[in-house]
Amino acid sequence: MSSHESRSVDPATLEMLEKAASDGVKTAFERADDVRPCNFGSEGRCCRNCSMGPCRISSKKEAEARGVCGATVDTIAARNFARMVAAGAAAHSDHGRAVAETFIAAAKGEAPGYGIKDVQKLLQVALDFGVEIGDRPVEDIALEIGEKALEQFGQQEGELVYVKKAPLNRQKIWRELGVVPRGIDREVVESMHRTHMGVDQDYENILLQATRTALADGWGGSMIATDLQDIMFGTPVPILGRVNLGVLKEDQVNIIIHGHEPLLSEMIVYAAQDPEMVALAQSKGAKGINVAGICCTANEILMRHGVPLAGNFLQQELAIVTGAVEAMVVDVQCIMQSLPDVAQCYHTKIITTSPKAKIPGATHIQFDEHDALSSAKQIVKAAVENFPNRGANVKIPKYEVDLVAGFSHETIDYLLGGTFRASYRPLNDNIINGRIRGIAGVVGCNNPRVKHDEIHTTLVKELIKNDVIVLQTGCSAMACAKEGLLTPEAASKFAGGGLAEVCETVGIPPVLHMGSCVDNSRILMAATAVVKEGGLGDDISDLPAAGAAPEWMSEKAVSIGQYFVASGVFTVFGATWPTTGSEKVTDLLFKGYEDIFKGKWAFEPDPYKMAKLMLDHIDKKRKALGIDKARERVLYDMAMRRELDAV
Amino acid sequence: MEEKELFNGQKVKVLGATFEPGKPLEPLRWRHKEQTREEMLKFLESSQRYWYSNEWYGSERRKNPA
Repeated sequence: MSSHESRSVDPATLEMLEKAASDGVKTAFERADDVRPCNFGSEGRCCRNCSMGPCRISSKKEAEARGVCGATVDTIAARNFARMVAAGAAAHSDHGRAVAETFIAAAKGEAPGYGIKDVQKLLQVALDFGVEIGDRPVEDIALEIGEKALEQFGQQEGELVYVKKAPLNRQKIWRELGVVPRGIDREVVESMHRTHMGVDQDYENILLQATRTALADGWGGSMIATDLQDIMFGTPVPILGRVNLGVLKEDQVNIIIHGHEPLLSEMIVYAAQDPEMVALAQSKGAKGINVAGICCTANEILMRHGVPLAGNFLQQELAIVTGAVEAMVVDVQCIMQSLPDVAQCYHTKIITTSPKAKIPGATHIQFDEHDALSSAKQIVKAAVENFPNRGANVKIPKYEVDLVAGFSHETIDYLLGGTFRASYRPLNDNIINGRIRGIAGVVGCNNPRVKHDEIHTTLVKELIKNDVIVLQTGCSAMACAKEGLLTPEAASKFAGGGLAEVCETVGIPPVLHMGSCVDNSRILMAATAVVKEGGLGDDISDLPAAGAAPEWMSEKAVSIGQYFVASGVFTVFGATWPTTGSEKVTDLLFKGYEDIFKGKWAFEPDPYKMAKLMLDHIDKKRKALGIDKARERVLYDMAMRRELDAV
Repeated sequence: MEEKELFNGQKVKVLGATFEPGKPLEPLRWRHKEQTREEMLKFLESSQRYWYSNEWYGSERRKNPA
């Protein structure tokens, strides 16, 4: 019986928390006990946007109901929310920009090691961007795509290219509301401007700009990142992988790649397989080099190479606690500053690689995309040379589980129809006939304020038990993978009868791993394809579908949630909600948005109640579509067919 | 043939499991099936017809909008 049982449902995590305690190492779990969240901040009632404050707004006291500048609690909560969206969109979009810049360099032949792996996806994106194909060399097409993609960030007027891929009715709603993003950077900048002291003071107007910014993420920066990565590294296909800290090897050099951009991790994977590096590892007494991942960079290399997942966000410190990690190589996003402190108790080297993200106490080895492989080899060499320094205090938890990942939107399309007629028709048909009750996207982070992985796994089990097929990305996918939900066998074990039948027929798990957090754009494309295939309404908001981020913690999650809501999806967040200090702002997001965007937010920390909210919404949509009960099947004769007006 | 219960309670006879036991050693590399540019574009027009072709009849292409 672990004294940490209330902290996680994952046995490997519990084992490592015990070890951390006995080694005198503090982790995020303990810091969450030490640092109590401020009520004003967590409810969105604190404004520190100028030096007349910070102003903590108490709605209960009349004298404290406004900030010094006169801002109401509604304005302040909306500004804080909009700034979270802007930061999240900025993070995803900067990721997309970095990929676009490397993509251009690769097309010019200035980035050895990078190239065009998926020509089919290149042609697809060329069609999206209106790039002429003809008989042009692949590199020319790629260069023009790269340049056009990069222009999307600095574009000042017009609409982002990918907006036209959304369902027509959805585009109409966006245009009528004036929330179609003009350019990715422009929307982030305007959000920051509008939330500056003394600018936009109408909470509804602030939230419309937050929406435009979020859409610039989902249908802009994130989608560009996903598509260009697919071209450079390959569109994901079904692949077997392993997950949890047990993937670390006692007799090998263990390198953990942690962060978000696959530009670095792809090269680390190649460098670790280099015979010269393997020979060096053997000369140091190791049997080989083992690469594993944490967070979304792990998802990226899992989806394309089957590289094992060491764990999700809250396991980053615990991977070091095993004592078996020679180097943790990080780039950007979701990296804890405590890593060098934890590493001090062991021999692990923390290696930062991005000029955007340095950490005191870490070793910085600048990653140069123009000389990627030698940068990667330098990093791998540093890890290998650290192997002899490994101490005796090593304990790798014996927990690792199989999973099948790699379900890109294109792959789902192919699995349901083959090369002759790839199609979402079988999915639509099975939603219409009731085998599948609906679709859910369950995504997002971990948060030590709630029991690690518990909300993710409980919610997803509840959904698949009720015949809802679940699409996943990010740390949420890893949580469910550790629970064994991402294998085809999970269908007969955990899913309801109808969903299990479909999964068994197609040969897929009931929970589909679609990739990293930027790959939430894949879920948008899958939802759009379901709409366009027909029979389930004319817009994403008509689908029997819902979304959730049960254990979210990052601003990126807020941006993702906002673009899903603005795309017409009912989206539930757990853990905490950042606008509860303002009744008006919360009401607008939780109720008013249903009229405006036909999608809305909800907050529910209990996974069973969360599942019920989602199922109720799915059932409501089924009823609206007239597919809530079985109908008598009528065999039409020719005369009856002629009477039909429809196509 | 074994008898199974459908999701709606109906009894049906089905083939048993037809998959091969074991674990896949390789990814399902379906992306390499089209080799030439022409084949790739043709496949895109079919598989991604919702965006790159007029040869489809979904919700957005009905004579009578919902």
